Amino acid sequence: MRIYKWLDRRLNLKPVERTLLDEPIPGGASWIYVFGSATLFLFLLQAVTGMFLAIYYAPTPDHAYDSIQFIEEQVTFGAFVRGLHHWGASGMVVAIGLHMLQTFLYGAYKSPREVMWMVGVVLFLIVMAFAFTGYLLPWDQTAYWATQIGLNMVGTVPLVGEFLMKVMRGGELLGALTLSRFFAVHVLFLPAILVTLIAAHLFILRRVGPAGPWTDERASLGRETFYPRQVYMDAVVMLAVFAVLASLALLVPFPLTDKANPSDTSFVPVPEWYFLFYYELLKYVHGPLEPLATWVLPMVVVLGLFFWPFIDRNPVRNPIKRPAALVSGLLFLLVVFSLLGLSIRNLYAVPRVDPALARGQALYQQFGCIGCHRIHGEGGAVGPELSYVGDGRPDREWHLKHFRDPQSVSPGSFMPKFPLDDKQVNDLTSYMLSLKRTPS
Amino acid sequence: MSEQQGGLEEGGDHTPVGSRRTFFGWVTKVAAGLIGLGLAIPLAGYVISPALKRRAQSWVEVGQVDSLPQGEPSQLEYVTIVRDGYLEAKTQKAVWAVKHPDGAVTVFAPLCTHLGCGYHWDTTDRKFKCPCHGSVYDVTGAVLAGPAPRALDRLPTKIEEGRLLVMYKEFKSGLSKPVEL
Repeated sequence: MRIYKWLDRRLNLKPVERTLLDEPIPGGASWIYVFGSATLFLFLLQAVTGMFLAIYYAPTPDHAYDSIQFIEEQVTFGAFVRGLHHWGASGMVVAIGLHMLQTFLYGAYKSPREVMWMVGVVLFLIVMAFAFTGYLLPWDQTAYWATQIGLNMVGTVPLVGEFLMKVMRGGELLGALTLSRFFAVHVLFLPAILVTLIAAHLFILRRVGPAGPWTDERASLGRETFYPRQVYMDAVVMLAVFAVLASLALLVPFPLTDKANPSDTSFVPVPEWYFLFYYELLKYVHGPLEPLATWVLPMVVVLGLFFWPFIDRNPVRNPIKRPAALVSGLLFLLVVFSLLGLSIRNLYAVPRVDPALARGQALYQQFGCIGCHRIHGEGGAVGPELSYVGDGRPDREWHLKHFRDPQSVSPGSFMPKFPLDDKQVNDLTSYMLSLKRTPS
Repeated sequence: MSEQQGGLEEGGDHTPVGSRRTFFGWVTKVAAGLIGLGLAIPLAGYVISPALKRRAQSWVEVGQVDSLPQGEPSQLEYVTIVRDGYLEAKTQKAVWAVKHPDGAVTVFAPLCTHLGCGYHWDTTDRKFKCPCHGSVYDVTGAVLAGPAPRALDRLPTKIEEGRLLVMYKEFKSGLSKPVEL
């Protein structure tokens, strides 16, 4: 406090403090206004955790995967910091979605706040670009193949698509050049753009002021300053957001898949949930219509969002008196969430796991099979690798015989005869057959 | 107090004053503090952790004691995996081992104590000779001639079931006493 007074005498800080804290809020503070602050908080959290991740991360195909694994397994709180960054990204998409929804519902994009809305739409696109570039960085199978698909979608854009895709990829191959440019864009270019646009967004907010309630009567009911009540609400929400993210980071591990393997074309990548609706859409559009889904539709949606304040020229802000806008907004959300729901249902429509698999896996551990056999990079290299043994040897009888007496089907094998009963042989066989590239 | 009233005039009648204002200020500070601590502690640990990890020195098998000739130094290969963060490198070094009549083994670090050149065993002279500046040591490692300031450095050894294990170390050159690097 004394330092503050000392600085204030020299720098004249009081007026700055007044401008920052005493901004009037029409109609008073409200919990509905917290989403913008929550988004800003999440961005700062992403920035901080991202900086710390960069302390150990190495953006080359040789080391990216190992460095992330090092963060996950060796660095104190490494998994927590990476978890915060991972879940923070999802949190940011949620917060932006709610922020835009509130702005839309309150008609806060209408004159004189059109420019603030447009900057906001660009901010949203930048965040999506963050998500896309960040997804590749762990260089695991999911990262590699999801990015491969993303880039191929860029390639379907008529005329310029092929060229654009090569520029993004840094050449013919998804490899070292792709990873380093995605890294540079993710940690240097995009943050610079985002910070500038956030500054513009907030500058405009201070020039035009918050929109407040949708009717003038309610706005005139009372006014209060930003501090202390709105600041308090924002702070409580930020703490809640942080608590949720920290719990997710601690409780829901986010393990790497296998290291990226360009020759393994059987891997089925799944995009992040916020790209899922789009992923699902592409299943229904084929052939010559494909560019329609991959780029015409997204372009229409993005341009529609961007120019929305000029499309919806009705000056009234009360949502009840804007049925057309409300219906189009609802329709848009309905389509997005239906696609998301469908996609999630398809993803989890996988048959329930046979309990024999779990028992077989436990036996595999118990008998120390890992000493000689390798599964997804773990285990010895004395015996054959078993990562995809279910593809290589799909014959159940063979495994049953082999477990009872290895030499009977594999002469010269030095695998010992383990004392297994029939049930155990069955369980182990089920486990072996489940080791496939694409789980059935 | 006059300042607060000024803010009140501008902000409107709903702006909290007095104890209510203090309460909101407090909650804000507590929330900020909790977030700050929740981040600062893990992030500090995250940055500091490699500094607290000492590189574990390990015993490495260099050969069977039985296969060593008695009283005659032989050069043995010392292969170890060095972990450097997420990198792993295999390093190869050679050490000199001398077996004594009682079965004990002395292992010398492979670098001359003068300036760290690699020396060799002259089988005809039965002396260790450094090619760089002419230091000469006897079979016990004691200095016989040349600029070497101290005897050859000995490495910790142990014998387990006939296998010779060595812990590799490096020492500063040019000092009269061995100082580990």
